[in-house]
Amino acid sequence: MKKFFVWLGLVLGLVVTLAGISAQPAQAADNSLARVKEKGTLVMGTSPDYPPYEFLVNRNGKERVVGMDVDIAKKIAKDLGVKLVIKQMSFDSLLVALETNKVDMVVSGMSPTPAREKSVDFSKVYYKGGQSILINKTDKGLYHDKNSFINKAVGAQTGSIQYSLGKKQIKNSTVKGLDKISDLILALKSHKVEGVIMEKPSAQAYVDNDKSLTMINGNFNLGKGENDTAIGFRKGSTSLVNEVNKSVDQIDKQGLTKDYLKDAGSYMKTNTHNTTMWHYAGYFAKGVGYTLLITVISVFFGILLGIIFALMRLSKNKLLHGLGVAYIEFVRGTPLMIQVMFVYFGIGLFINIPALTSGIIAVSLNSAAYVAEIIRGGINSVAKGQTEAARSLGLSNTQTFRSVVFPQALKNIWPALGNEFVSLIKESSIVSIIGVTDLIYQLKAVQTATYKGVAPIIVAMILYFIMTFSLSKVLNHYERSMRHD
Amino acid sequence: MTDMIKIEDLSKKFGDTEVLKGLNGSVSKGQVICVIGPSGGGKSTFLRCLNLLEKPTSGKVTFESNELTALNEGQLNELREKMGMVFQSFNLFANMTVIENVKLAPVKVKNMSDDEANKLALSLLDQVGLQEKADAYPASLSGGQQQRVAIARALAMNPDVMLFDEPTSALDPEMVGEVLKVMQDLANDGMTMVVVTHEMGFAKNVADQVWFMDGGVFAEKGTPDEIFEHPKNERTKDFLAKILEA
Ligand SMILES: Nc1ncnc2c1ncn2[C@@H]1O[C@H](COP(=O)(O)OP(=O)(O)OP(=O)(O)O)[C@@H](O)[C@H]1O
Ligand SMILES: [Mg+2]
Repeated sequence: MKKFFVWLGLVLGLVVTLAGISAQPAQAADNSLARVKEKGTLVMGTSPDYPPYEFLVNRNGKERVVGMDVDIAKKIAKDLGVKLVIKQMSFDSLLVALETNKVDMVVSGMSPTPAREKSVDFSKVYYKGGQSILINKTDKGLYHDKNSFINKAVGAQTGSIQYSLGKKQIKNSTVKGLDKISDLILALKSHKVEGVIMEKPSAQAYVDNDKSLTMINGNFNLGKGENDTAIGFRKGSTSLVNEVNKSVDQIDKQGLTKDYLKDAGSYMKTNTHNTTMWHYAGYFAKGVGYTLLITVISVFFGILLGIIFALMRLSKNKLLHGLGVAYIEFVRGTPLMIQVMFVYFGIGLFINIPALTSGIIAVSLNSAAYVAEIIRGGINSVAKGQTEAARSLGLSNTQTFRSVVFPQALKNIWPALGNEFVSLIKESSIVSIIGVTDLIYQLKAVQTATYKGVAPIIVAMILYFIMTFSLSKVLNHYERSMRHD
Repeated sequence: MTDMIKIEDLSKKFGDTEVLKGLNGSVSKGQVICVIGPSGGGKSTFLRCLNLLEKPTSGKVTFESNELTALNEGQLNELREKMGMVFQSFNLFANMTVIENVKLAPVKVKNMSDDEANKLALSLLDQVGLQEKADAYPASLSGGQQQRVAIARALAMNPDVMLFDEPTSALDPEMVGEVLKVMQDLANDGMTMVVVTHEMGFAKNVADQVWFMDGGVFAEKGTPDEIFEHPKNERTKDFLAKILEA
């Protein structure tokens, strides 16, 4: 028991140290503008599932982020004389990405609320929308404004203004928060929720593209900023904000947002022209490709590191044993999702690791802990007499392990290891939260692009099954050929 | 005659329980020692201390003038190959065929060429009457066959002494004979052997010395005739009486 607390202390100490390092204020003098100009790129973070602000279109099988916000960002980049880079991620991750230098600005239909202003610097407002509620057309007579939803369930994007509006201003309602608008629409159609709160132009876009939907005015009491849309920057980026505000002023004066919205509308028309799943085969293929890539690389490093950690844990050396135990227990005791975010955002504070690499690192490190336990179990399950017989013949410890113990352990662990690979195909989907375009991510992209909820889910489900089923078959084949009895 | 193995004040504790309590003895070249005694008396532990599979708590084991208890792992590996060991539960390597089992140590430890090792393995398998099983996996063999392979495997390192820990206890009665026969042949060829056994017939016929072990000590040592026909120690008498009853 005493040992247990030593370990707990060790692990917690490590975490606190890391947290301490990363919590140090990175604020020096404001060099935000100079920095952007120096690197020659302006990185925009956005969650492209919010037409007409930002969404994905399919151009000859290639996907692209378009929308009013993209046009605005392009203008700003042009005014600054730098290149625009677009980084996609979930709405929830945007502010963390800003804080951790992954992006220079967030343009994602974001409202400059007082709460957000505590941690983010905002540009001037570039668009004033209003809050609407999207409903099923069949329910048209039932709902008139927010007060019609008392005691009902409504949906809104997690972490959004709409979410807190629903919570605060609709009495006794259940507000269901989902990450993606496309999922909310699905929830609406299946009556999991009766309305979805979203900004007027977005709601308009959905109504224009889906005959089964219509919208009503929410009549919310809107506080400061809740009606507005602005660009977010890292706290203390005054020089960059001032420069960007010049562009926003021009946009305002020349009424450019009207043009931008029209531009977005035209994309939405062409975008919805062909919504068969076949048309989006390229999307799915890309998703499958990334899912397989992440899985294969992670399996490779997972096994390699897994063997090392298993041997550490089995080692007689106290230090190695301790490190092995601490690693394995800590990784198995925390969710993969947090590990992915930790690698991308946390470690990313010190070294800039691209999202895909971060995803692969996190999944590999996670898998290593599980593989280590599988291997340790396999090694322990080899009868002690096997080792003794080998040692009595004069084989060294290492020779015994390599020729006698490990091959037998491998036979024992193969089925469990196979399960681990198969589940890795599925679990790797978590990397979609940091914007890695794996199959889950692409599924959402197709949902947004086609305004279809269920069909892409079915396609993705079948694709996952094909991958896991064929892998199981291949592994079974090897397992059979390894039997000696 | 010089002692091949010399045991001085050998003690072994597992935690607080003292399993071996200051054993003394010596084995000379060509001698066959049978160790008998009741279950839990420490026979296996004693045998395993001879090649240091078990590390003695105190005392000395000397083999061919090398004090084993003072050596490091690397030096021990070199001497272990000179001490073949056969286990109650055979312990054939499950992931290898019969011939691979026999070849493994010569190839890995002695760096013998594959050809040479094959020849050696086949002749040893012939010696134990199992040449035709060379390519079978252990799981497909009977217990008696497995134990004979295990003997061939130990012999492949050309050991100076063979340690047997109840080699026939796990066998069906009809297979005991074939294994004892192989062991008897070995003894006749002049192999030095230490055999822990419950086969009193074998001990009577083959042993030069019988050591009766009980409660972690050698309660009585003597020739088969002295131990079986004229036991002096009460505990020896008790033990033999029980064995004969069964
Ligand atoms: N690794 C171990 N840890 C703890 N106690 C042990 C260990 N090995 C053996 N013992 C104990 O030491 C004592 C002697 O065991 P040992 O196996 O040497 O007896 P034995 O004479 O060979 O008995 P048997 O005839 O049943 O094989 C027993 O009480 C046993 O429980
Ligand atoms: Mg025993």
